Amino acid sequence: MSTTSTETPSAPGPGAPLEPGAPRAASLAGAWRRFLLRRAGGLVVNLALLVLVTFLIVQLIPGDPATAIAGENATLAQVELVRTQLGLDQPVIVQLGQYLLGVVQGDFGDSFRYRVPSLDVVGAAVPYTMTITVVSVVLLLVIGIALGMAVGVATRGDRRRWLDLVFTGVAGVISSVPTYVFATGLVVVFAVTLRILPPAYSPAYDFGTAAILPIAALTIGGACSVARIVRRETAVILEQDYMRTARGWRLPALSLYAKHMLPNLLTTALTLAGIILTALLGSALITEAVFAWPGLGGVIVQAIAIDKDYPVIRAAVFVIGLISLVITLVIDIVLGLLDPRTLGEQRG
Amino acid sequence: MADPTTAVRAAGGPRTFAWNPALVVGLVMLGVIAIVAIVAPLTMSGQATGIGGTPNLGSAPEHPLGTDTLGRDMLARTLVASQATVLMAAIATGLSAAAGIAFGVAVWLAPRRIREIGLRAIEFAVSYPTMLVAIIVAAILGQGVVQVVIAIAVANIAGFARLTANLAAKIASSEYVSTARLMGVPAHRIALRHVLPNMAEPTLILIAGAFSGALVEISGLSFIGLGAQTPAFDWGTLLNDGLSKIAVNPVVILGPAVALTFTSLAALLVGDGLAAAANPRSNTTRARLERIEGEPAVQDADAVLVADGITVRHGVTGRTLVDDVSFSIRRGEVLGIVGESGSGKSVTASVVGRLLGEGLSASARRLQLGGTDLLGRVPERTLAEKMAFVYQDPGTALNPALILGIQLSDVLRIRLRHSRRGAFGILLAGFRAVKLTDPEGRLRQYPHQLSGGMKQRAMIASAMSVKPELLIADEPTTALDVTVQREVLTLLKRLNEESGTAVLFISHDLGVVRALCDRVLVMKDGRIVERIDDVRSLSQETVTHPYTKQLLAATPVVSVPVAADQDEVTA
Repeated sequence: MSTTSTETPSAPGPGAPLEPGAPRAASLAGAWRRFLLRRAGGLVVNLALLVLVTFLIVQLIPGDPATAIAGENATLAQVELVRTQLGLDQPVIVQLGQYLLGVVQGDFGDSFRYRVPSLDVVGAAVPYTMTITVVSVVLLLVIGIALGMAVGVATRGDRRRWLDLVFTGVAGVISSVPTYVFATGLVVVFAVTLRILPPAYSPAYDFGTAAILPIAALTIGGACSVARIVRRETAVILEQDYMRTARGWRLPALSLYAKHMLPNLLTTALTLAGIILTALLGSALITEAVFAWPGLGGVIVQAIAIDKDYPVIRAAVFVIGLISLVITLVIDIVLGLLDPRTLGEQRG
Repeated sequence: MADPTTAVRAAGGPRTFAWNPALVVGLVMLGVIAIVAIVAPLTMSGQATGIGGTPNLGSAPEHPLGTDTLGRDMLARTLVASQATVLMAAIATGLSAAAGIAFGVAVWLAPRRIREIGLRAIEFAVSYPTMLVAIIVAAILGQGVVQVVIAIAVANIAGFARLTANLAAKIASSEYVSTARLMGVPAHRIALRHVLPNMAEPTLILIAGAFSGALVEISGLSFIGLGAQTPAFDWGTLLNDGLSKIAVNPVVILGPAVALTFTSLAALLVGDGLAAAANPRSNTTRARLERIEGEPAVQDADAVLVADGITVRHGVTGRTLVDDVSFSIRRGEVLGIVGESGSGKSVTASVVGRLLGEGLSASARRLQLGGTDLLGRVPERTLAEKMAFVYQDPGTALNPALILGIQLSDVLRIRLRHSRRGAFGILLAGFRAVKLTDPEGRLRQYPHQLSGGMKQRAMIASAMSVKPELLIADEPTTALDVTVQREVLTLLKRLNEESGTAVLFISHDLGVVRALCDRVLVMKDGRIVERIDDVRSLSQETVTHPYTKQLLAATPVVSVPVAADQDEVTA
């Protein structure tokens, strides 16, 4: 009888001696190994595609890329200079080969404007963008999950209708404000009217003080969006059979919600966090403009709109794409730690 | 324990579109925006673009939102710009929806190989920020209104494609599509007739979200200078112009800021409203359990559980789900309640277990468990150690995110005050008693690593670990395979005999019940229609109610000979 009911999805852990005839509880080592292998393979494919996309940015420019990049007023000599600098005078396959060779060595070509390797230009901006993005994501997840869970528990089964209405209204309005509008509003209130925080980044201000408003702008709206979703998810989880099981054990509220509900909530919240984080990275690129923040947003906008500095554009797109890929991977690993069922999914 | 609210809702008739305040308000707001977008450029473009007014005015009666650096009225500029902004967002959303849905359906209709590649391509695209995709497109095509619309449209295609592919896969595996396939309906007609209509609701919700996203993104691109170029203007460029004057004349950002938020909120409300309409929430009341006075119907001196006059009503509709049900269970006895779904047997068990679902109100004349009055205030600890539960589906009753050792020992540690080691020791002994292999290893496993039968045995071990006076087993075998059912029944019988724990056993299967129980109650429509005290000699002749006769006629005889099963368990 005992052997008929063993249905273990993964191999036994290494070093676990198998007694003949007595099936042992399986460990998750095998599932993790397969998961990491699969994700590593996915990462390589994604990187290759990313490099290809950055290569194509120049190739896909309508008309003659060299003429377009050099600008309308460029002399023939300038156009030819751009053409040779980007290798556009050679067959596409040779261009791709040379581009790949360069990328492997971390060389996206020299910036047209700054005359230094474009990866250096981009690299200098990365810490600024990453600081506000990462801090904001941590804050918005913590605030959003706590708020959403608290409201979800407080309004379960139609309790406290007023709270439901207030929360729905306030969170809805705040999450509708675009981050850059929110950022502008914060500048008006805290920098222009109250004069307690600097309106924009400048080496004259303390970095931490200057970062407060950008982080607040990115956090508050996002936290409300997360809270809205977490609240709905809380209502769903409270209806689950395993929560009734926990109530059947007469567990106190803290254990019920913090121990039995939260891990399940985090699975959803983190799946969401990946999407929010990449979206936030996009918002950060725009919001930086409000604060003259010296991050990737400023670099890429300047490169596209003013300098037509394609080596910098290529490097910036590659780096932003890389950050997105790493974020997605990290979140999936955290998800796997929290809920090993996600290891088996065919993702990435 | 079945949720009666769903049954009530299902009885409410065919599904109709549920209008709700969010949807109405959102649509009205969108209507206002549409009217402004059409009318404002016709009537106010002179004020919006005419140069010659006083520049950089603050809020003044004739210019409530001030004037810009060229003296143009910001209110007029904001209202006129709504046409360009909303049109750009709408076109971008329309383009990405059309392309994304077409791609998603094509991927789903394609041969398996191509479908896999298509799905991977979609996953690749959605893992990047839409803004990055938009920036790439802007880098290729340059700046301008058309470019930015194309950029945002391209960036949002993947989102629509993914939703469509996911929904199509879900619908494709549904029964009505497989039926249509079996009947030889060609693929494109299946797509047109069955797949697309059923995707309408989620797609509309996504469109509302995408429109709001496109609006914010296009304005954002204009805001950083990659979108509309002078002399064209939208809310994003207005905001950007205002930003440069923010220190001296902050009122000029008010127009575009409010306009963007208003429109985005309108789209959010419509999306929320559509979602709520698709999945309407019913009003519920809090669960209540109260005492009513009356002549006791149960007189049983040596009973562990006495339940007298249990009545349960739906809180909102007032419909009676359980009507004056009385019974008692003696020590060591197994009482079965049998009945079809909706007969009220699970609700009755939930009253006894003090786990009544939200929206129900229950009353009883007497509800007593081993000297404890369950109708009064009972300490949680007493409840936790006096009764335990085994539920229908061990796959959903166990917490998927916690290892067994943690979730099954919580009640021992928190309510029965055992140490961590003590609790694990009790649980291990329980696992051994239910014949789980490698008990120590099971403690570290997640529920999904065990088969259904093993999960149910772990659940039973946990239930018995508190040494309860009453075990409430609510259809504990229904979700299991027939062979596993037998094992679990044998196990319950053995534990009942060894520990003397009284069992309330709920089932829809008279065959299972007669094999296990000492006495059986038959429930129908919330009432007890038959009490069978002598299960051994149960036959068509010994029962009186026609429903019991029907049940009996439909049930094959199952027997669980106790002695034989002991051997089987230890084998």
